[in-house]
Amino acid sequence: MSVNRDFPWQASNTGSTASKSSRNFFRGLSERWLSRRAPRSRDITLNHSRLFILPTRAGLGYLLVTALLWLLATNYENNLVFALTFLLISVFVILPVHTFANLSGLRLQLIGTEDTFAGDFAEAQINLSRADKRQREWIQICWPPEEGAYVDLCEESLADFRIALPALQRGRIQAPRLRVESRFPLGLFRCWSRIDLDVEFLVYPRPLAAGPLPLGEAMVEGTSGQVRRGGDDYASLKPYQPGDSLRHLAWKQYAAGRDLYSKEYESRTDTRLWLDWELLDGRDVEARLSNLCYWVLQAEKQNIAYGLRIPGTTLPPSLGAEHQHRVLAALALFPRWGG
Amino acid sequence: MASNRDLMPRESLLWIFAAQFVALLPQLSQLPLWIAFAWAFAVYWRLEVFRGRRDLPGRALKLLVIALTVAGLAQSYQRWFALEPMVALLALSFTLKNLELLSRRDAFVSLLLAYFVAATLFVREQSIPYALYGLISALVITAALAAQLGSFSARPRRALGLSLRLMAQATPLMLLLFVVMPRLGPLWNVPQDTSAGRTGVSDSMAPGDFTRLSKSDKPALRISFDGPIPPPEQRYWRGLVYSEFDGRTWRQGVGVDPRNGGQVYWSSGERALPQIGPRFRYQVIQEASRSPWLFALARPASDSPGVGETVDDRLVKRTPVYSRFAYEVRSWPRDSQTIPLPLNSAERRRNLQLPADGNQRTREWVGRLRRRGLGAEEISSQLLALYNREFTYTLSPPALGSDSVDEFLFDSQKGFCEHFAGSYVFAMRAAGVPARVVAGYQGGEWVNGEKYLLVREYDAHAWAEIWLDGRGWQRVDPTAAVSPERVRDGLETAAGEEFMQDSLLPLHRFDVLVKLRLQWDMINYRWYQTVVSFDSEKQRDTLQRLLGDLSPMRMALFFGSPVAVVLLGIFLWTHLTGRGRKRPVVERLYAVFCKRMARAGITRRPGEAPRDFAGRIAERKPQLAEFARRVTDAFERAAYGGDKEALMELRRLLRWHLRLFLKVPINKSQLAGH
Repeated sequence: MSVNRDFPWQASNTGSTASKSSRNFFRGLSERWLSRRAPRSRDITLNHSRLFILPTRAGLGYLLVTALLWLLATNYENNLVFALTFLLISVFVILPVHTFANLSGLRLQLIGTEDTFAGDFAEAQINLSRADKRQREWIQICWPPEEGAYVDLCEESLADFRIALPALQRGRIQAPRLRVESRFPLGLFRCWSRIDLDVEFLVYPRPLAAGPLPLGEAMVEGTSGQVRRGGDDYASLKPYQPGDSLRHLAWKQYAAGRDLYSKEYESRTDTRLWLDWELLDGRDVEARLSNLCYWVLQAEKQNIAYGLRIPGTTLPPSLGAEHQHRVLAALALFPRWGG
Repeated sequence: MASNRDLMPRESLLWIFAAQFVALLPQLSQLPLWIAFAWAFAVYWRLEVFRGRRDLPGRALKLLVIALTVAGLAQSYQRWFALEPMVALLALSFTLKNLELLSRRDAFVSLLLAYFVAATLFVREQSIPYALYGLISALVITAALAAQLGSFSARPRRALGLSLRLMAQATPLMLLLFVVMPRLGPLWNVPQDTSAGRTGVSDSMAPGDFTRLSKSDKPALRISFDGPIPPPEQRYWRGLVYSEFDGRTWRQGVGVDPRNGGQVYWSSGERALPQIGPRFRYQVIQEASRSPWLFALARPASDSPGVGETVDDRLVKRTPVYSRFAYEVRSWPRDSQTIPLPLNSAERRRNLQLPADGNQRTREWVGRLRRRGLGAEEISSQLLALYNREFTYTLSPPALGSDSVDEFLFDSQKGFCEHFAGSYVFAMRAAGVPARVVAGYQGGEWVNGEKYLLVREYDAHAWAEIWLDGRGWQRVDPTAAVSPERVRDGLETAAGEEFMQDSLLPLHRFDVLVKLRLQWDMINYRWYQTVVSFDSEKQRDTLQRLLGDLSPMRMALFFGSPVAVVLLGIFLWTHLTGRGRKRPVVERLYAVFCKRMARAGITRRPGEAPRDFAGRIAERKPQLAEFARRVTDAFERAAYGGDKEALMELRRLLRWHLRLFLKVPINKSQLAGH
């Protein structure tokens, strides 16, 4: 579980696109209606209040054929053609029940999401299960217009799958409503539900190559970094050896009656890697974030500890997945320019 | 370009071909052979494409193929607007569709066409085997539709099982629709299938015609009676009257043939009916004969639509009988009629017509009788006596030359009905007595189980009618003079060993088989009575039987109640399954609380712990803090501790808060919060 809920100021920034679309009044209206009817939840069981059903184009074609058959039957006064026509119509009438039953009672649970980089696909892991014994077939789950996943629940009663959403912008992305759709059994009816599984992605900036890592370019006080012998900072004592500088003799210890020691000093120029906002002066915000992101990945790859310094956030140098996530999250959630 | 999921997997492809095959198979005998080859070739090509050995045809090639098929159709069919070319066109269109079968959409189009082709089968024939085959076709095509959804559904057992289930579930509604859906009658004139040859009694009678019929045991008529049943010797089902003789062939002749100047009364009111009631009322179900002649006892009248009555007391149909046809008849036997008007001169001339020369010996023989001063009836009985003394009834008579009547009467003296009737009428005409040949069926087999008379092709018969002044047309059956069994017991007894001699399998020799055939015919009769001939009249009767009378109230109940039952079922079902796992009371009560809070402007976030939610409420609306705390407390105790008291308190709290809310308008509290 990698969703981080510590950044409330981001909510308005990346909220669902539809709620903002004032230009598309009806869409907004339908979304509002949907959000009342099918509220957001991470565990949703499909039922009649969330499912919609309509004939597909193939279904309309089928109706056209039954109409033509009816004409054939009427004109030839042929009762067997009538019987066939009525059989086909009756099948058409009972089909929605089957299509509906294929989705109804299905339970969808969000297992988790994975963070991703802008320009890549964000994946959500979802669990689909059924409590009853009915077989379910050919259920499509997607974020339209993406293809999504096709899932069957035939012998097994639950299935885990991943579906992907293209992540275009960095930040915390609230995924749009998922579409769960089925055309079982004949493809003549489409039953669907638009559910909000409360899927949120953290999308890191898109990594953009920014040259080699800025090693040793930032000089900062700190506790780590490359150590050079013979600097200004006292480090430790070592037994005196002829040739050691007299200035470094530990007179105090000597006065206390101990052996002659020589103080050892190190220079502590901070050569640790700092990925600093200021290093990328002259580029716009998004480009800076992208470059920083690239460096983070490079540093992690080369196993060099790195820290991040951007306006509002400073993260001390470190290494490891945890650290990388923190750093990248900070980059992802950096306020938008002018926003 | 079709997206990936729209591309056709192998199973789906095979299912489509199976559906097309099933739809096409029974049509093959009617379609030109090249269509079958074209289909097989298209399937082969598409499979090669699937295997990756070939590409789908390009546009130029497709256009060429279309041009070729259109040319082929034009070559095979002269008439375009008819059923057969239409079926051929449909079959060809799904054949060609195979060459571009790529997406799910193409598959749908192809399968919908297959449904239509399968249905056209019924236009040709509506018998039980055809009905069963049509059902199987529908099953396979529906299974093919189901198989388009995925490889799991495409497994044969799964797809067929699903299809079968759908059909079974659809059947009750189908039956209801079949019974109640109004039949409008043809909206326009449709072309009929005219390919097959005519069967049954034909327009003319030349020597040998009836031998052909005597070899067929196909059913011709099924007659059920309402009231008295005529005795066997009166069962003469008149169909045609031949008045014109050219020395060899008997024809209807100008002025008699309804298609050639003969007068037809299309409604029974046009012609005066006898004063007394009819003696026989019956329904005739006639097999397709592809000619307009209907069959009835003498002096018939019919109110069935499309049925007319001719001057010479026959029934004809406005259009040829292309499929089984049922008509109601009332008949007045000749002896029950009042004295007829004398024959007018045109009629008399027509019924005395003979070729100018030929058959001299017969003419001389009759001349001798006339010179002896014998009347019409005496001449007739002389002739019949001659038949009775010298003649043999046989189904395989020797061939006759140009003076066929002479040779039959004086040389061979062997023959069957057409010889007897022809020579009799010739002789009577030569004697100056108006006479005519009547053709139709005689007799029939009584089927006890269903109480109807089954008349087969081999019951076809020809006899004569002579005009007697003061008594009108009288039936004379010369065959009966030779072989009374023919009339009394039917052809099988009369012809003995000769009966159905040439048939491939002499099934009539086995008693069991004969009985089985009769059983089968009974089932067919039932089938025809209940299903095939179910028209708007029978529909009204059925509804009346079911509902008593057809008042709007009853109709509404009849149609409304199934709909109501179905809707109620769906409603209950969705409620039972939709709320399958009912949430515990505690959770529902807490949900009520959340809903109220939402109305007050604080929405619980998904997954937010109740305690956190209460904290947030306290922060944003201090006036609700105490309430939220107590509710949360009670909820937690009830939900996690199973505390019954807490549950009661939760209930109480929520009820109390409702009252509070009624006093404090919501928007005010919202304003306070912001």
